[in-house]
Amino acid sequence: MTDHERIDELLAGYVLRSLEGEDAAEADGVLTDHLPRCPRCQGSLLELQEVASELALATPALDPPETLLPRLLRELEPKERRRPVAMLAVAASVVAVIGLSGTWLQGRFADESGSRREALANILDFAREHDAQMVPVGNVTEVSAPDVQEMYLYGESVRDPPDGSVYGVWLVVDGTPRLAGTFVPDGGWVYLRVTFESSYDALMITLEPEGSEPAEPGTVVWQAA
Amino acid sequence: MRDGEREDLELHRRLEAGDRDAFDELYRRYGGIAYGLAYRLTGQQILAQDVVHDAYLALWRAPEAFDPARGTFRTFFLSLVHHRAVDVIRREERLRARSERAANLDPLVGEDPAEDVVDEAYLGVRSKEVREALATLSPEQRQVMELAYFGGRTQVRIAEEIGIPVGTVKTRTLAAMRKLRKLLEEPAE
Repeated sequence: MTDHERIDELLAGYVLRSLEGEDAAEADGVLTDHLPRCPRCQGSLLELQEVASELALATPALDPPETLLPRLLRELEPKERRRPVAMLAVAASVVAVIGLSGTWLQGRFADESGSRREALANILDFAREHDAQMVPVGNVTEVSAPDVQEMYLYGESVRDPPDGSVYGVWLVVDGTPRLAGTFVPDGGWVYLRVTFESSYDALMITLEPEGSEPAEPGTVVWQAA
Repeated sequence: MRDGEREDLELHRRLEAGDRDAFDELYRRYGGIAYGLAYRLTGQQILAQDVVHDAYLALWRAPEAFDPARGTFRTFFLSLVHHRAVDVIRREERLRARSERAANLDPLVGEDPAEDVVDEAYLGVRSKEVREALATLSPEQRQVMELAYFGGRTQVRIAEEIGIPVGTVKTRTLAAMRKLRKLLEEPAE
């Protein structure tokens, strides 16, 4: 069996959401390491996704309960109150947003293997679209591209911070560190999407007291220029 | 690109701008298929309703998760619904017995029940094509596709259930999807 045949088998299982264990881990590796470099497999993934979604049409449509649409319409937040982060559509460990104002928000989400794959797929899409670089920053990897005001941090075996501490993500802009957000690994898993309004010179990951909103960086544990 | 896809793109564009009427229209367009799919997987109305609810709310909150460069809106949204439904049934293992019926092979081929509310002509044609394509698979291929897609089983579990090696499940799955791809690659007009 060729490598590509093996990869196609994994991708077929992946789009059907039917992988587990070693196969799921291998698929994660393919999505992370191989796909960004292989247009052939990128095409295969798109084709298989399309076939999988078409299968839904084989099932008879059913009228949803009449109460569902009114319930949904009641729950739709007005546009101005909608959360600004695309990744909220998928489960992810941590999402952080920063603007020049220095405001940030953070959310924690369920940690499921399928969600991890979706998170990795998002990172891969970003890397592919922007020809991004992946730079290790301690236990996490920074995925960023020049002139793109968005970047990702992810890691799969990040150790927990000491009790009472959280990790802080700081972007150094014109020599001034700015706090992007804080996070705690979820079973070793870290997935952050950071958006910003001006380019940064360096990235620092620090230890900060839990529940604080520090103005200055705490102890630097990892950094990258 | 078919008319339906163009309309989907326009509705999605309006959705990104916070247009509730576009949301309403996308619900009317795909709510029935989404609910039918979710019900088939979960086997329970309340769970199917939750799946569809969550999928539509996610769409409203993050419409930018759909990237037109990566396929059609329909592919994106029905994948979202399917993934959520699979997640639900894996959390709700107790639903297995009920989903046995849902994973039955028979309903796929030639059945078009009275409650079918596919009212978009192009979707109706496509539904027929998909059913016909599935009917051309060998029984062995159709079985693994049914158990994986509509039963929400993992490949390991499928291998256990039907008593074949996992490698055979993988081979059959890929062969089935390639065949379906070939049969379905010509879009309905």
